[in-house]
Amino acid sequence: MNLSLISRRHWLSRASLGFGTVGLAGLCAQLQAAEGPTGQRLLQPHLVPRAKRVILLFMNGGPSHVDTFDPKPALAKHEGQKPSEQATRRAKAGYVPSPFRFRPSGESGVVMSELFPQLSKCADDLCVIRSMHTDVPNHEPGLIIMHSGVQQPTRPSIGSWVTYGLGTENQNLPGYVVLGPRRPVVGPHLWSNSFLPGAYQGMAVNTQDMAVDKLVTNLKHPSLERSQQRRQLDLLAGLNRLHAEQRQQDAGLEAQIQAMETAFSMQLEASEAFDIGQESPATRELYGDSLFGRQCLLARRLSERGVRFVTSYYLTPGGNQPWDTHSSNDDQHRKLCADSDRATAALLTDLKQRGLLEDTLVIWTGEFGRTPYAQPNDKGKHGRDHHHSAFTTVLAGGGVRGGLMYGASDELGMFAVENRVHVHDLHATVLHLLGLDHEQLTYRYSGRDFRLTDVHGQVVEGILA
Amino acid sequence: MLRLLSGFFSILFVTLPVCVWAVDESGAGSEQMQFFESRIRPVLVTHCYRCHSAESKVLQGGLRLDSREGLVRGGDSGPAISASDPAASLLLQALRYEQLEMPPQGRLSDAVIEDFAMWLRMGAPDPRTETAVVTAAAVDPESARNHWAFQIPRESAAPAERSANKLDALIAAKLHEQQLTAAAAADPRTLVRRLSLDLTGLPPTPQQIAAFVNDPSESAWRELVEQFLASPAYGERWARLWLDVARYAEDQAHIVGEDASLTYPNAWYFRDWVIRSLNQDLSYAQFIRLQLAADLYEGSESANLAALGFLGLGPKYYDRGQLFVMAEEWEDRVDVVSRGLLGLTVACARCHDHKYDPIRTEDYYGLAGIFASTEMFNRPLSAEAAEQDGKDGKDGKDGKDGKKKGVKPHESLHIVREGVAKDLHVFVRGDVQNRGPLAPRRFLPILTSAPQPFTEGSGRKQLAEAIVDPGNPLTARVIVNRIWAAYFGRGLVGTASNFGLLGDRPTHPELLDDLAVRFMQNGWSLKWLHREIVLSATYRRSSQGEASAVAQDPENLWLARMPRRRLGAEGWRDSLLAVTGRLDASTVGGPSIDPSDAAETRRTVYSRISRLDLNRFLAMYDFPDPNVTSEKRAETITPLQKLFVLNSPFMQSQAEAFEARLRQAIPSEDAAAVGQRIDWAYQNVFGRAATPVEVQLAEEFLQQADAATRWRQYAHVLLASNELQYVD
Repeated sequence: MNLSLISRRHWLSRASLGFGTVGLAGLCAQLQAAEGPTGQRLLQPHLVPRAKRVILLFMNGGPSHVDTFDPKPALAKHEGQKPSEQATRRAKAGYVPSPFRFRPSGESGVVMSELFPQLSKCADDLCVIRSMHTDVPNHEPGLIIMHSGVQQPTRPSIGSWVTYGLGTENQNLPGYVVLGPRRPVVGPHLWSNSFLPGAYQGMAVNTQDMAVDKLVTNLKHPSLERSQQRRQLDLLAGLNRLHAEQRQQDAGLEAQIQAMETAFSMQLEASEAFDIGQESPATRELYGDSLFGRQCLLARRLSERGVRFVTSYYLTPGGNQPWDTHSSNDDQHRKLCADSDRATAALLTDLKQRGLLEDTLVIWTGEFGRTPYAQPNDKGKHGRDHHHSAFTTVLAGGGVRGGLMYGASDELGMFAVENRVHVHDLHATVLHLLGLDHEQLTYRYSGRDFRLTDVHGQVVEGILA
Repeated sequence: MLRLLSGFFSILFVTLPVCVWAVDESGAGSEQMQFFESRIRPVLVTHCYRCHSAESKVLQGGLRLDSREGLVRGGDSGPAISASDPAASLLLQALRYEQLEMPPQGRLSDAVIEDFAMWLRMGAPDPRTETAVVTAAAVDPESARNHWAFQIPRESAAPAERSANKLDALIAAKLHEQQLTAAAAADPRTLVRRLSLDLTGLPPTPQQIAAFVNDPSESAWRELVEQFLASPAYGERWARLWLDVARYAEDQAHIVGEDASLTYPNAWYFRDWVIRSLNQDLSYAQFIRLQLAADLYEGSESANLAALGFLGLGPKYYDRGQLFVMAEEWEDRVDVVSRGLLGLTVACARCHDHKYDPIRTEDYYGLAGIFASTEMFNRPLSAEAAEQDGKDGKDGKDGKDGKKKGVKPHESLHIVREGVAKDLHVFVRGDVQNRGPLAPRRFLPILTSAPQPFTEGSGRKQLAEAIVDPGNPLTARVIVNRIWAAYFGRGLVGTASNFGLLGDRPTHPELLDDLAVRFMQNGWSLKWLHREIVLSATYRRSSQGEASAVAQDPENLWLARMPRRRLGAEGWRDSLLAVTGRLDASTVGGPSIDPSDAAETRRTVYSRISRLDLNRFLAMYDFPDPNVTSEKRAETITPLQKLFVLNSPFMQSQAEAFEARLRQAIPSEDAAAVGQRIDWAYQNVFGRAATPVEVQLAEEFLQQADAATRWRQYAHVLLASNELQYVD
């Protein structure tokens, strides 16, 4: 892409927000002056982008791959048999088959369990990676590595990297928003900008109450009418201009004035963007009247208005990791999937209808999977434990091949064996789809260039459309 | 170095298993070579070369598989093949996914693995020879020693004719060299506001301004400087700089469930110790000694134990007790000490010798061993708590499983104490399972003439002495530079925590050295340093530069003018509280507060700092991530900050308070009083009179605005203005 193709106005609108980014040598001084005091530079995509934005649907706690997208008929044959010591250190019971029937769907024949009746209608859009693996079978490190690429909590989150890399598409909205009715396990570190500038932090929105003024803090003045506040801002802008005029050209003072104006417009734009009440009853019905359904609908509204990265956490007011089914695995998956199935399918269908699916990457995943063997339970309703050496992540839209089942775990779903995809590889691929080379998207901090994928990661070429 | 390496290789060659070479030297059977070419080479090329060959962007594990020599030499985990016991070859084990798992994308088929086993049994015939020997780009310690930062700083000669003040003379010399014209002195009003905000973090009162405007003499300036330096607000202002460096926080980034056993509810004792020490002008050398080893200098009943929070408030990670987790914690301690106190990125040498600076992995583990010999300690705050401790039968240590044991955090001081003294082995490539040579505890060789092993307990006291040794070229320079950066927006060295080869070169090396040397000569007194700076003409210049100088030096590297600075989270919030008259300056220290609480009136330095969930107000205003030492605040300008300014309960509450003050000062509601009120507001918010245009704009606004709330709205505008947030 040539610099001259970017209009100056577009440039300035980014610059005034303090978004923007890297690596463009030889910018003219005029544009540099407009960057503001943050010293951030505009990033050109390194590659041709296939996706412009990301919606991450996160099933907190870890969904069971063998009950959802990775059928393992051999579990019936080996039922009750304990996995070898080598394969696991903590098996207290033997393998247990999934009670759910698996069926191929669509023209492509992508297989999923009967728990996904709606999503099966989107089968030809789905790219099901059955060979995911991560480093540790514990929630916290698993969540942190899935969000930031390392296990210890000191690095920027993927949404921060992406907004740092690509800036925002809508100056009146934040570039990175995370949705949930409460905090997930680990909490705000999952959307932390860490050492990236503060502008790239995810804006956390509590979705328990979907009233707009509850969703976004400080979005409205408690008493002033908009016209009154406009008059107030006119006075403020006037005084700030007088102040700036008496001082030598100072990009910082100008940026402050711009940011105030942006905030004023944002009050309107965000009020509209965050208001799912403006959706038709039919659309709301499509997503389902559940917390997760409403979140997915809100995610679509934000996405289509240019929010670069939206995360929708599957949480409940009482549960910070509902998919952590240590007991009653089957009953709970029945319930959780019903909700997740409807909302996820609605999101994909809705995006597709609006022509947005082709450049919106949707990711459905947990921090890991669940054991193919049972976790015994006093009441006789077995659960499944944490399982990191094989699990499933589902992608759709944004330049991935639909109707694909990629990679494989072994006969029993214990280990990813074919076309293994580590979390680092997933991250490299997500950045690749957004037009970013994961080895080039770096940030210099403390004398070192850091990346999302650290020193790892390979783009999974086999899933690119 | 080269000789050493070649010696190393010759040993390797001599001890090589004979049969590998026998195959080679006999030319190997053509059938065997055929086997290699058809069954082995294609697999290596397809599955291994990407990461293990001369073409690899990053050579993984130090292992090359594109030559016979590479296989024999092996990588970090040792030789890849063993001819004496082919089945035990690491290569084969990795392919079988036994110890290592290679290739990482997936296990190769059994048939392929059997081919490799066969090939190894043949003696690994391999025609490939290495075209270029790879050697690690080792840092040459002798030439690196010449790096400016490793030279002992020297005092500069007596001031040149250009100025009476040494600091000014050295700045003037550079200005002359760059042919830049210095800006005029700032006006008294600007100066007193600048000085007050710099030394105390609070704006001056209208009385202080008036007094200095009436008598802007040199002696009045000196008096003002002493008055501000003597104020307890000085310590409250400057403590924050140190707390940023010390990655001060009161909890962990990662808390499992509601488990608070790893949190630091009494961290504020450390924060208050820092404030108190700065107010007492404790020598910086002693300031460091106590933070690293107060227990060893003054005994376990020392009044300065809280200082140990510098180490004791470091991050504790999930599953601590496991070696790989503790290795992460030790890295934190090495990092905060080396970057924070020495301006060196020693933690880079955890997995490999430093790529640029003369710091080897042994040096890293030499320091890490000190912290491995030190344990995190929740010391009972009271006798009752101690008794409770006894009842639990535990010693206040965190258990291996991170579960609660001994004294509860809220009843204790979070410090460190001596553990079992031990040296660490180098963890090759940072892998705790892969032990290299023993690295005795000691100081960094590059900073000492003859590093001796530390043998007194953990070695913390010896470490502290090595850091504050006047022969250490970095410690004084680093703190002088940090303080300088706080005044001038940029340090004399732009990278405040990296003085190594990748860091910026100093713009004014002589000035940095001169200040560092005289700082030490003056008893490492930080107040001396502040005086030296604020009494200079350089500090007292206008921020309105000469046009030519601004054009020629837009970044203001040469300081022909003062930079215009934006107040950080603390300076801005404290200024608001001060001008609205709500600031509670009555007590210094105490438990932490929520700075965004509309009813909270204490200074921002008292904010509760969370690694898990940093206060939204602080995060929004560029407060650094307290998980790691911070050298510099970012400066972002975002609409979310402005939404806070426009609509937050905190700002409403400030506007209300200011309105109340205004009405109290000028109760009259007469039209004639409008002008008086505007003027009073300007004097109290900005310390100056309103200009006629400003009065006119204000009057127009007040006429149109809702009568009941117009003064509150007006107050809100002044508080939201750029003028309040910037320092000229």
